[in-house]
Amino acid sequence: MDLERELQRFISEHKDRIGLVSMDAPLISNLSIWSNIALIRQYHQNMPLNEAKNIALELLSRMEMEGVLGKRNSALDPEERFCIMLLRAAMVRDAILVLDRPFSILINQRDGAFVMDALKKIDDLIAETYIFDYSWAESCYEANNDQ
Amino acid sequence: MIKTIESIGRSSINIFVTLRATLLLAAGIILRLFSRRAYNSASRMVFINQFYFTSVQILPLFLFVAVIFGTMVNGMAFQVIKNLGLTDYLGRLLMGFVVTEIAPFVTVLLIALRSGSAINAEIAVMKVNRELNTLKIFNIDVIDYLFVPRVMTGMLSMVLLSSLFSMTVLVTGIFISSAIFGTSVDDYTGILLKSASLPDIVIVLIKCATFGFFITLIPIIRGLNASEEELTSIPVAVLNGMVRVFIAIVIIEVLSSIIRFI
Repeated sequence: MDLERELQRFISEHKDRIGLVSMDAPLISNLSIWSNIALIRQYHQNMPLNEAKNIALELLSRMEMEGVLGKRNSALDPEERFCIMLLRAAMVRDAILVLDRPFSILINQRDGAFVMDALKKIDDLIAETYIFDYSWAESCYEANNDQ
Repeated sequence: MIKTIESIGRSSINIFVTLRATLLLAAGIILRLFSRRAYNSASRMVFINQFYFTSVQILPLFLFVAVIFGTMVNGMAFQVIKNLGLTDYLGRLLMGFVVTEIAPFVTVLLIALRSGSAINAEIAVMKVNRELNTLKIFNIDVIDYLFVPRVMTGMLSMVLLSSLFSMTVLVTGIFISSAIFGTSVDDYTGILLKSASLPDIVIVLIKCATFGFFITLIPIIRGLNASEEELTSIPVAVLNGMVRVFIAIVIIEVLSSIIRFI
């Protein structure tokens, strides 16, 4: 409960720059994957469709996920879903990236290696990163602290 | 007795609250229709997609209905006119009844049944899946991004499709009047032009735009009333929305008739 409150407080403090990756902010189901990613820049920067699509494509290729381009949320596996949410969050200008309990999305992962690996691929787009998780999940990230 | 008064009071408060919310949202959408912020790249994409689903995809069915309906109505009406010796009223019948009454009514029914229900279900699903929450978190205004493009599409589609319906019915009328009365294309066109009145056309256009506004606004509002994470609230939201859309259609139809004939 404290975690929820803390997260809400943090989000409202940095409202304009928050890029949230959370089960509480699902992908839009009637948009394709690239549209979900492109939406943020199309709306906030009035970026033309093709330009936003090209950026989404470039980001997908960084994640080696070009194959999901035209898919919908329901067709993704948990790892793909997490990466797309991450890319969408990274589209926010000067993004303060917030990962809200990543293992609630990555249900098949046992440690933070996948999260850290994904973050490394887009670290040029992100200003700051914060992970909100339960204290008992801390050990999942410890092995990757050096990264 | 007290229970009855309580129940009347509760119903009145509910109606007042619902009406207030509806009017506030309607006012918000109308204001945003004139705001530049609502015309960003993302909203344009929603507008184009919605316009395609509402106005383009429906065309084969729509034209089929217009031709069948036009042939039937024209055939019956012209025959009755001929039998009663009221041939002079042919133009008045076509412009005053088919163009101003039948065309908007059939069009609004088709669009409401197809796109109104789809919009209602779409917004309800977004609410249940917490996708509206996603938009809020990413500072995307739902009125700008979701509602304005849909309402604009509704209004534009109603005006365009109703005009197309009228044109189709009037063109089928050429063949039928030629078969029944033996009128030439020139005579037929002349009769139509003589019967056309600007105030009637203005009222029809306003009526179509009003229809378009409400058959998209009401499904949006009912969709927003679905409960988060409760799938069973989706069919309830669609059902309530469609009943209210039907009531709105009847009210607008009656009001426009009153304005025309007073």
